[in-house]
Amino acid sequence: MPIQPELIIIIDDEPDMLWALENVLLKHGHIVRKADSASEALSLMNREKFDVALLDAKLPDMEGLELAGMIKEKNPDISIIMISGYYYRDDDHMKKAVASGLISNFVAKPFDHIELLSLVESARSHPHPNSQISN
Amino acid sequence: MSPLDLLEKMQSGEFKSELAAHEGAERYEKLFEMLLEAIPSSLLLIDDETRIVAANKNFLSKNRKSRSDAIGKKLEELLSEPLIENMDITGKVRQTFKYNQAIRGGRMTYRAPGVPLRIYYYSILPFVWNNQVEHVMLLMDDVTEQIRLSDEVLRAQRRYAGVVESAADIVLSTDPSGVILTWNTAAEKITGFRSHEVHGTQFFDWVPKENRSELVQVFRKVRVGGNSETGEWDIRTKNNQRLPIGWIFSGMQDETGETMGIVAIGRDLRERRELEMQLLKSQKLAALGVMAGGIAHEIRNPLAVSYSAAQFLMEEDLSREFQTVCVQKILSGIEKASTIIQDLLRFARPSSTTDLTHLDLIPVIHDTIKLVINQAKIQKVSISLDFSIDKAWVLGHANLLQQALLNLFLNGINSMPEGGVLNVQVDKSDSEVIVRIVDSGLGIARENLEKIFDPFYTLPPVGKGTGLGLSICHTIVVKQHLGKIEVTSSEGQGSTFTVRLPVF
Repeated sequence: MPIQPELIIIIDDEPDMLWALENVLLKHGHIVRKADSASEALSLMNREKFDVALLDAKLPDMEGLELAGMIKEKNPDISIIMISGYYYRDDDHMKKAVASGLISNFVAKPFDHIELLSLVESARSHPHPNSQISN
Repeated sequence: MSPLDLLEKMQSGEFKSELAAHEGAERYEKLFEMLLEAIPSSLLLIDDETRIVAANKNFLSKNRKSRSDAIGKKLEELLSEPLIENMDITGKVRQTFKYNQAIRGGRMTYRAPGVPLRIYYYSILPFVWNNQVEHVMLLMDDVTEQIRLSDEVLRAQRRYAGVVESAADIVLSTDPSGVILTWNTAAEKITGFRSHEVHGTQFFDWVPKENRSELVQVFRKVRVGGNSETGEWDIRTKNNQRLPIGWIFSGMQDETGETMGIVAIGRDLRERRELEMQLLKSQKLAALGVMAGGIAHEIRNPLAVSYSAAQFLMEEDLSREFQTVCVQKILSGIEKASTIIQDLLRFARPSSTTDLTHLDLIPVIHDTIKLVINQAKIQKVSISLDFSIDKAWVLGHANLLQQALLNLFLNGINSMPEGGVLNVQVDKSDSEVIVRIVDSGLGIARENLEKIFDPFYTLPPVGKGTGLGLSICHTIVVKQHLGKIEVTSSEGQGSTFTVRLPVF
C-alpha cells in the first residue's frame, strides 16, 4: 500500500485493458479514472488534477504522443507512462519521448503488475528533471 | 506493244503491205530503221551465211562497237568466242534458217574483254520473204539488272528465313482465314509439333477450345483493322499440356492494302509466369511488413489482458466472481490473439497454383477486411461496407484476390494520413461483379493516374509502400482473372478504385 494514494487516469480504447489496469491500481489503493479516447481524457483533466497518466500509444482520435504533449501543457506536474503494444522497449520514438521528458516511462504490453506499480510509484516520487524545471 | 510483238507483226507482212500501198518502200524502210533504234533491246539482222546485215544502236553501244565494225562481220567474229561456242548461237541461227522456226527464251551470259558482264534473254526469229527465210533476227534483252534484283530478293529471303528459324520465339504465318502456312523451329521445339504436322491446318485448332472464338475475333480485327493485336493465350503441346504464350498478331498486306496473311509471334511465358509468382509472394511479404505494426498492437492487447488476469489469479483472497471474470478474460484474450494469427496465416500461406475455382467473393472481402482493420484503426480510418448482393460468384483464386483487395485497402488507408472512411461497395451487373474501394484521402493528380499501376511507382510519402501493390493488383485482376481495374480520383477529395470480375 502506498503511503499516499495517487489520482491516476488511464487512457485506452480497449475496454479489457481498462479493466486490467483499473484492477491493478485499485488493489494498491490508488484512485482511478478511465477514458477510452483522447477527448474524454482531456475533459476529465479539466475537472481533476491527476498525479499520473497511463496512456495507450494509439487512440481512435489521436496519437498517444500528441495527447501526451497536450496533457503536459494542461498539467506540467503530471507523470505520464505510456503503455503500448505498438512500440517495443528500445523503440527510437519511445527513447526520444523519455529523453525529452514528454513521458516518464514506457511499458510494453503485456506487462508485469509489480513492474508497472513500481514505475507508477517511482514516477511520482522521482519526477523527471524537466518536469521539475517546468514547476 | 513489246518490241518482239512489233517485229513479229512487221515480219508477218501486215505493216509492209499497208505501208507499201500508201507510202512506198522508202517510207517503210525509214520506219523500220527508226524502230530498230528505238527499241530497248539489242538487235542483229543476220543473213544465211551468218553475216551481220544490220545492227541497232543498242547493240553497238552495249558492245562498244561502231557500225562499220559490225556490218558484214560473221556472227562468231562479232560475239566473243566462248559465248558462241558454249551457247552455239551460230548453230541456232542456222537452225532457224533451216526450219523457219523461232527460238525463244534462251538466257546467255555475255562476258567479253573490256565489256562488263551482262546477262541477256535472247530470241532468234526468222524473217520470211516469198516463203523463204531471208534473214534471221537475233534479239537480246539485257536482264542483268532484273537478275541482280531477284538474286538480292533471294538473299533477303534466305536471311529472313535464317532470322525466323533461329528465333527463340514462335514465328508462324497463316492465310487470312487462319490456315497455317509456315511454322518455325522454335514453334516445333515449344509445342513438339513438327512443321509438316501443322501445315495446312487451322491455327485455332492448336489453342484450347475456350480461347477459339476469342482468337477468331482477334484474327478478324487484324484482317479488317490492319493493326497488330496482342494478348496471352495458351497453346496445346504434343504431350497434351497447355503453355502460356504471349502473342502478337499482325496482318501482311499486299500493295493494294488487302490482307494476304497473318504473322503470329509468340513468346513462351513460363519463365515470366514463374517470376510473376515470385513477385506475388514477395509483395505479399512486403504487405505483411506494412501491416506488422497494426498486427503487433492488436495481438499484444489481448495478450496483455490475459497476462494481467493470470497475475490476478495468483493473488490470495479473491472473490469467486472476480476469479471467474479473470478466467473469461484469459480465454477470450487467447481466442482473439489466435484469430488474428489465423487470418494472417491464411493470407501469408503461399499459393502453389494459379488455377481458378468457382468462388464467392463476399467472404474473401470480409477476410481481407479483418486483416487490415487493425492497420486501419491505428491510422484512424474506419471501414464502411455497402454490399448490394449476398453472393458474388466469380471464377477466381481466393488467395490472389485477397492479395489484390488487401493492396487496394491498404492503398486507400495510406492515402488518408489524417484518418477518414474507407468505403467498400459490392455490386453486380449482368456480366460483372463490381467492387469499389472509395477513400476520402489525398487523391491522385491527373498526370499521375496513368502511372499508378506501374511497378515501383509510389506516391509520397515514399517508404510507406513498396510501389508494387497496385501493379500486383493489376496483374492479379487483369491478367489472372481477365477482369478490369479502373481508378477515378480528384486531388484533395479521394479516389475510387473499381475492380470488375466476370460473373461465373
